[in-house]
Amino acid sequence: MRKSHPVRRAVLATAATVSGIVLLLSLKPASDPGSAEAAGGAAPPAAAQSPQGGSQPIGDGTVTGDAASTQYGAVQVRLTVSGGKITKAEAVQAPKGGQSDQVTSNAVPRLNQAAVAAQGAEIDAVSGATYTSAGYKKSLQSALDKARAAGAPESGAGDGGGGGNAGEAQARTVTGDAAQTQYGPVQVRVTVSGGKITKAEAVQAPKGGQSDQVTSNAVPKLNQAAVAAGSAEIDAVSGATYTSAGYKQSLQSALDKAGG
Amino acid sequence: MTTTLAGGRAARRQTMRRIRPRRSPAVPLLLAVGAGAVAVLWLWWTNTPSIADTTGKIIAAGRITGLLAGYLMALVVLQMARVPALERRVGSDRVARWHAMSGRYTVSLVIAHVFLIMWGYARQAGKSLGDIVGQTITSINTLPDMGKAAIGTGLLFLIAFLSVGPVRRRLPYDGWYHVHLLTYAAVFLTFWHQITTGNEFAVEPTAKTFWYGLYGVVTALVLWYRIITPVRLNLRHRMRVAAVIEETPGIVSVLISGRRLHRMGAEAGQFFRWRFLAPGMRFSSHPYSLSAAPRPDMLRITVKAIGDHSSRLRELEPGTRVWAEGPYGALTAQRRSRGKVLLVAGGVGITPMRALFETLPGAAGDITLLYRANSTQDLALWSELAKIADERGARLMYAVNSPDGERPDISAESLQRKIPDVDRHDVFMCGPPGFAQSVYDALRGAGVPARRIHHESFEM
Repeated sequence: MRKSHPVRRAVLATAATVSGIVLLLSLKPASDPGSAEAAGGAAPPAAAQSPQGGSQPIGDGTVTGDAASTQYGAVQVRLTVSGGKITKAEAVQAPKGGQSDQVTSNAVPRLNQAAVAAQGAEIDAVSGATYTSAGYKKSLQSALDKARAAGAPESGAGDGGGGGNAGEAQARTVTGDAAQTQYGPVQVRVTVSGGKITKAEAVQAPKGGQSDQVTSNAVPKLNQAAVAAGSAEIDAVSGATYTSAGYKQSLQSALDKAGG
Repeated sequence: MTTTLAGGRAARRQTMRRIRPRRSPAVPLLLAVGAGAVAVLWLWWTNTPSIADTTGKIIAAGRITGLLAGYLMALVVLQMARVPALERRVGSDRVARWHAMSGRYTVSLVIAHVFLIMWGYARQAGKSLGDIVGQTITSINTLPDMGKAAIGTGLLFLIAFLSVGPVRRRLPYDGWYHVHLLTYAAVFLTFWHQITTGNEFAVEPTAKTFWYGLYGVVTALVLWYRIITPVRLNLRHRMRVAAVIEETPGIVSVLISGRRLHRMGAEAGQFFRWRFLAPGMRFSSHPYSLSAAPRPDMLRITVKAIGDHSSRLRELEPGTRVWAEGPYGALTAQRRSRGKVLLVAGGVGITPMRALFETLPGAAGDITLLYRANSTQDLALWSELAKIADERGARLMYAVNSPDGERPDISAESLQRKIPDVDRHDVFMCGPPGFAQSVYDALRGAGVPARRIHHESFEM
């Protein structure tokens, strides 16, 4: 029986809804399509060979990988590179809170050591810290890619880089890590034979809404481009910027694996 | 005649057994609804790693509004599923107001959702805001289930338009009601695009399962309580009109006979939605309160002939079949908290008060009925009330306009004068909105706490 104020109620409901949505949107980290581009696209074709072998020169200095999100929080790795070698690896971000504190304090130092020892992203997961290890490796890989991008001027070494491990292997299929995009994950599987990409396909791509259309248009083009380029250096499909960036990132990861 | 309906002691005993003063579940229900909304937002949050630019933000806002609209749509339908917990414990009137409020809000969210998503998609395709219509047509043609969704949304907008105050007042109730039933079709049509094109449901199979669960439960409740329960009730009780009695000029009572009517679970103060299977009345159902405690072989409603439907009641032939749905309403003895009770009736609002006056348990002097009418001739059921008052030792007062048309004084002071301990009473009230509001204010002025004023209002 309290007096109702329909206008006031409507204004309040609208204001609350709008400010709630604006708040949610502003709390979401803005993705930086530029860096996604860099992680995938700017990696040199040489990366298709054997990055873990350390045969590629790595630019000196400090490089921070992209943050990899895990179930328990983000992991982000920073590498210090000197004389083409990883001299130091550290986690600038790692899961925190609750059980995670303990897991992180146990796992991260070991992962840091392992990264320096292996001089690459091919390190073993720390038992009891599976998700953190996976995120660490992902971010480490991204840091390595960036470091190489900075320090590898010899473009065109891609197909010609004969001594690559991939070259000797017979046809094999490698699936890259899934790359997160705004519209959903992208994951690429490549078939490598005789040091060449003979087939590329997306095992995951954004779905739902507008995405179905964009995906069905872009993915075949990206697949073709990957085979044609023999590397992750492919052009983004227009109208599918994010999907392209994610594709390149996952493709790069697949090529890294194939090489290793 | 009507004296046959004085149930007296037996009905009071039955009521006494049923009284379990319980809190209204409104607050926990609202909390649960809020928690659900947070869960829906969380679903969006976890499935959106980051937002890139303005286009991304517009699409994200469109998704949030869409998810919330989809969630609330299910609840809007649920509120009208006639679930007993809502109808009898929260109260049909309050639930109907929730339904209207949340319905308006949901339609607003749907409008925002359609606009934001299409605007975002247009920008994504490199088009401007002006191409939003073209983009909408493209999306309807290319995306799965969007054709259905477009028809459903159109229906929803039509229903919303017809429910806007000024438009609705110009429509006959039955016509408006039957168009409103199309909401079920609209919800069904718009459901599928949520599942097939909704990003959150495409990536998160668990979310999809929950969404199916939500809509599945609502569908089951609607089928059960709106169709199966009434069919069973009417097959069991087989009600017919027994007699129609003119109480005062313009107020008629309808006596309804049937089998084992005391087993319907109706309490004094509750109402049924009645449909009389007579020519011209078949397709409309109206809520009327019981004006006496239900007896094993007889129910009674008392109705003022104001509308088209209520005027036709006086022409009902005995033997006409009756289809009833109910009982609904929370204005029952379960609401009371203390010993003493004041019942306030305005005009034909006497009907539920009459039933409560007879059945509310209480010692002599505990129950007071204040009956407001235009004149003494308009005091329907007066002789019955006097008899009950006599039998129970209850107080019965009336307030009518003076011969020169002056309105009686019902104010905080006059209430305190007549009933010195009025602030220690539970008050049950039924009457036209203006009357109810002024009595409410007077009662509050006389020191009655708001939580002890029990009132049903079907004003939106």
